[in-house]
Amino acid sequence: MLDEKEFIQQLLNPKTQNDAFQKLLHTYQKPLYNHIRNIVLDHDDAADVLQNTFIKVFQNLKNFKGESKLFSWMYRIATNEALTFLNQKARKSGISSESLQNKAIDNLKADVYFDGNDIQIALHKAIATLPEKQQLVFKMKYFEELKYEEISEILGTSVGALKASYHHAVKKIEALLTVN
Amino acid sequence: MKEFKLNTNPKIESGFKTPDDFFDKFSANLLEQLPKNEPKTISLFQKKKTIIMMVAAVFVLALAIPTLIKNASGSNEIDTVTLENYLSYQSNVNQYDLINELDEEDIDNINNTNIVLEDKTIEDILINNNNLEHYIIE
Repeated sequence: MLDEKEFIQQLLNPKTQNDAFQKLLHTYQKPLYNHIRNIVLDHDDAADVLQNTFIKVFQNLKNFKGESKLFSWMYRIATNEALTFLNQKARKSGISSESLQNKAIDNLKADVYFDGNDIQIALHKAIATLPEKQQLVFKMKYFEELKYEEISEILGTSVGALKASYHHAVKKIEALLTVN
Repeated sequence: MKEFKLNTNPKIESGFKTPDDFFDKFSANLLEQLPKNEPKTISLFQKKKTIIMMVAAVFVLALAIPTLIKNASGSNEIDTVTLENYLSYQSNVNQYDLINELDEEDIDNINNTNIVLEDKTIEDILINNNNLEHYIIE
C-alpha cells in the first residue's frame, strides 16, 4: 500500500475517495471479517458487524488524526462494534453474554459456514471460559496471528501484559482440552 | 492421560468459512450504501426565510410588550362583580357592617335612586321573605 499519510489524503479527497475506499475495502475486509467472526461466531452477525464497521470507518475518516495506524484504528472500531453487538444481542434475548456465546458455540455444529470438527468445537468452548480480554488476546494471537505490537496498538495494552495474558489463556485452554 | 499442547500439536484452525463470492458481493453492496459526499447547499430562499422570521419576531415582540405592560399595570384593580362575590361568599362582613360604613351622602343617593317596583312584585317579595316583616318593625 502507498505511504499511509498519502493514502489517508486520498481517502479524504472527494475526487479520489471512491477508488481509495475500494482499495481499503479490498485490503481489510478479509482480516476484519475474520477478527469479527472470531468474536461474534455467527456468519450473518459477522457480516452485519463488518458492514457497520466500514460505514463507521468511512464516516469518521475526517476525524482520524493519524495518531495510530489506520490498520489498528480500523481493528479498534471492529472490536468495539463486535462487542457492542454481542452485548445488545444478549440484552435483547434476556440472557448474559456468556450464555449467548455458549449458545452460539452449540449452534456451530449445524452452521453451514463452520467447517470444524470436535476438537475445534472443544477449543471454542474452552476459549469461551476465559475472561473477555483474554479471549480477545488469544484469538488475535492464535487464530489471526497478529504480532504483539499490533495487538498492543489495537487494544491499548502493553506488550508485556499481552504476553502474560496470552500465556495464562494458553495454560487454561490446554488444561481444559487435556481433561476433555 | 496425554497432556494437550497448543504449540506442539498441529495448529487448530477456527473452522469458520464464508459463502463463495461473499467478499465480492460485500464490497459492491457496501459501496452502494455509503453516504454520497455532496456539498451542503443553503438556498437563497432559506437564508431569506431566516431573516424574514427574525424581523417578524421583532415585530411581534414590539406589539406584544406594550399590551403586556398595560395588562400588568391594570391587574391590581378589582372589578365590581369580583368584589361583590367576595363580600357575599368569602368574607365575614354582614349587612350591619355595611350599613355602618354608609354616610349621609350614600343614604341620600340610595333614596334618590328611583326603583320602580310594581305592587305585585312587592307583594311577592313580602310573601316569600318572612324576615322582611321583622326588619320593617325594627
